[in-house]
Amino acid sequence: MAFSSVAFLFGFLPAVLLFYFLTPSRLRTGRNFLLLVFSLAFYLWGGLRLLPVLLASCVGNWAAALLASTGRRWRKGVFLAGIFLNLAALGYFKYTGFLLGSLQTLGLSVATPAIVLPAGISFFTFQAIAYLTDVYRGTIPPERSLFRFTLFMAFFPQLLQGPILRYGAFAPALTDRQETAADAQAGATRFCFGLAKKVLLADALGQIADGAFAAGDRLTVSLAWLGAIAYTLQLYFDFSGYTDMAIGLGRVFGFHLPENFNYPYLAKSASEFWRRWHMTLSFWFRDYVYIPLGGNRCAKGRQLVNLFIVWMLTGLWHGSAWNFVLWGLYYAVVLAGEKFLWGRGLEKLPAALRHGYALVLIIVGWVFFRAGSLAQVGEMLSALFGAAPGGAWSGETAYYLRQFRWELLVAIPAALPVKNALQAWLSGRRSRLSGVTLAVGPQALAFCLFGWSVVRLLSSTFRSFLYFQF
Amino acid sequence: MAKKTDRIFLSCLLAVLLAVPAGVALWSHQETSAYYENRALAQFPALTWESLWDGSFASAFESWYSDHVPGRTTLLKADTAVQMQVLRRPVVNGILTTQSVLLPFMEYEEWAPESYPGPAKTIAADYQKLDAHIRANGGSFYFVGFPEQRVYFEDLFPSYLSSHQKEAAGADKAFADALTAQGIPFLDMGAVYDAQGHPANFYSAVDHHYNYYGAYAAYRAILADLNADGWDLPVLEEDDLEFQILPNPYIGSRSRKLYNLWPNEERAVIGVQRQPVAFTRTDNGQNSDKPLFVLPQTADLPTTYNLYMGGDFGETVLKTNRPTLPKALIFGDSFTNAMETLLYASFDETRILDLRHYTEKSLKDYISDYQPDIVLCVQNDTFYYTTTGNGAVWEE
Repeated sequence: MAFSSVAFLFGFLPAVLLFYFLTPSRLRTGRNFLLLVFSLAFYLWGGLRLLPVLLASCVGNWAAALLASTGRRWRKGVFLAGIFLNLAALGYFKYTGFLLGSLQTLGLSVATPAIVLPAGISFFTFQAIAYLTDVYRGTIPPERSLFRFTLFMAFFPQLLQGPILRYGAFAPALTDRQETAADAQAGATRFCFGLAKKVLLADALGQIADGAFAAGDRLTVSLAWLGAIAYTLQLYFDFSGYTDMAIGLGRVFGFHLPENFNYPYLAKSASEFWRRWHMTLSFWFRDYVYIPLGGNRCAKGRQLVNLFIVWMLTGLWHGSAWNFVLWGLYYAVVLAGEKFLWGRGLEKLPAALRHGYALVLIIVGWVFFRAGSLAQVGEMLSALFGAAPGGAWSGETAYYLRQFRWELLVAIPAALPVKNALQAWLSGRRSRLSGVTLAVGPQALAFCLFGWSVVRLLSSTFRSFLYFQF
Repeated sequence: MAKKTDRIFLSCLLAVLLAVPAGVALWSHQETSAYYENRALAQFPALTWESLWDGSFASAFESWYSDHVPGRTTLLKADTAVQMQVLRRPVVNGILTTQSVLLPFMEYEEWAPESYPGPAKTIAADYQKLDAHIRANGGSFYFVGFPEQRVYFEDLFPSYLSSHQKEAAGADKAFADALTAQGIPFLDMGAVYDAQGHPANFYSAVDHHYNYYGAYAAYRAILADLNADGWDLPVLEEDDLEFQILPNPYIGSRSRKLYNLWPNEERAVIGVQRQPVAFTRTDNGQNSDKPLFVLPQTADLPTTYNLYMGGDFGETVLKTNRPTLPKALIFGDSFTNAMETLLYASFDETRILDLRHYTEKSLKDYISDYQPDIVLCVQNDTFYYTTTGNGAVWEE
């Protein structure tokens, strides 16, 4: 179930809020039980056939962690088997088609089975691996309650698209949290802003990107740039919008989920970008792949190998297609370059130039990410750098600029910390008007944006979130 | 103050979240169609094990729920107003708003004109079989082709948008050539209108059809062609008609998509015969007292193109009880409707089939049974290459 669906907003959400808050707060287990029931219902809305994989992952990882905890015999074997089974499940559901399809391309005659990809499998599998590893390392004790562990795995605000949680950070709130009106207000406000980011900005900008990436022989240099920029903005508002909704919902129920974005397009280098974009995934790869491989504390050659392994896996995690592998390798090359070749020189450049450098790299990177095939990657990149079949300019570019001028005008400042600057400015004025604006403004704006988003939802074909595919 | 505003905000939000499901529970059964979208609203999906298992219930439920949100039409109308009047988007709800007309937004992807002669030849072969069958039954066949409104006004598309001008010209020519090559008379109404100076008032600014002036010009051209072929058909001259401009607001298929918010002064026109040719009428086999022009009861009620003959029927039969005149069969799309109010006056009996709705027998069998003297196929050019509905002219 998507947050930006009528069934969620006016069916699931009021139901879970009513049941949850009508249950007395002293009945913590009762409230958790309701959250679990609703989380499973949220997941099963996409089809009952999704349930076995999620439940198997919950039960298997819960049991494996108990057996892999400190002091247990065979704990290393259980831990390794647990990791293997998690990766095997992810590999089977997500990469079988890709692997067999690649073999077919090489001329081998292999049948491709129709495998249904369980929604959110990349996210809950990574959470499970992190949990298992933390328990094995002794960082956290194993959770003895299957019920609490299943709630951690299936917690509906973050089940499908993260943020990727660590059990150590999440577990205390399961038994000891407080739901307050202030938290509920802050969470609800953030949810409304997140919904607006998705519905009002991302979906509209997506129409530009779709048009540009499907242009084929009509592609012009201007359309390629407009499409790539639109996709850069679409992806940010889509994914950060979802994250805002997830964090906001979590806060309504008293959970403080980790941040996933920190104005990534402010970055002045690719390395900085990845410290600001999908932060919980970056931290996951750092803690559970890069550092165990040796991280930075090894020879340059080994560091390079580690970097390439991490980024190839990052690419593959995002999608089972060669363009995602290429996207991962692209970042491996860029990050290696910044680390060993031009990083120091880059730091000496003026900030504006560094922003420009990072933005061009990011926009080009998203072309790898968005393209439907390697051929399309080539077409788009050629067009971006001047070799477009349709020339420099076309009416199609003019149409998209006219049709979506408002979204483009709003999206650029909205991707920057303008809100923070405005808040700081209002706080500094200390007038009655600025006080009232600060107190009422965000809620009033959130309420209006919620209403407008719902109207746009009703008037447009339902579109799912981009990160559902991962 | 913060606590108070928190509570007010949360209460308002919760009230909205609860009001929608409550409204759906109370009123969802009351509406079954969306007039402005010209479609039936989604029905509540059947709850089956399979639909729950594969998740299809959820997507069908989402469609049903979205369709039945209370006040949906009002909200969408308000949204359309904002998109048009505040945000001033060139294209709203798939409609391009220009200074003078409403046109459909056309995708940039278009077929090359060279891709049409092949399919045109295949389709013309079916029309040739139909023509042979009509001849074998003692009749004559004519194809009457019209430019659709967006083709008629293709020069009004802004330069940055695609009008598919080349594609339409190539496709229309290929189709006309293919029919002519098969020996079928192709009466090109586009050429007729061009010869008269391509008047803007022949077509509606807010609908995909022509208007009554365009219909009358086409009627005269058709009758001129038929009489030139040796028929001696009575013609309704301009003096025989009183062209009346109706006072009612006119809602076209394009303005309807904009919730009729586009400033539109257009009014429907009807041609009332000063000395009416009397007729009896049946629709789908049932006696009907519907007049030629079905008008709203009061002047403030809106009217649509359906005022001509009361809209589309599978079969309409008009008899004027003048056995010396020939029998006609007209089939085709809704461009026939306005012309039917004129054409029937030239025949003893006129039968009109809309093959999208008529299912009793095939066109071939219908012709065998009815034995018409003249068969007219009336199509606008967006349907030339359609092989279903009114394009399904020959079944072996």
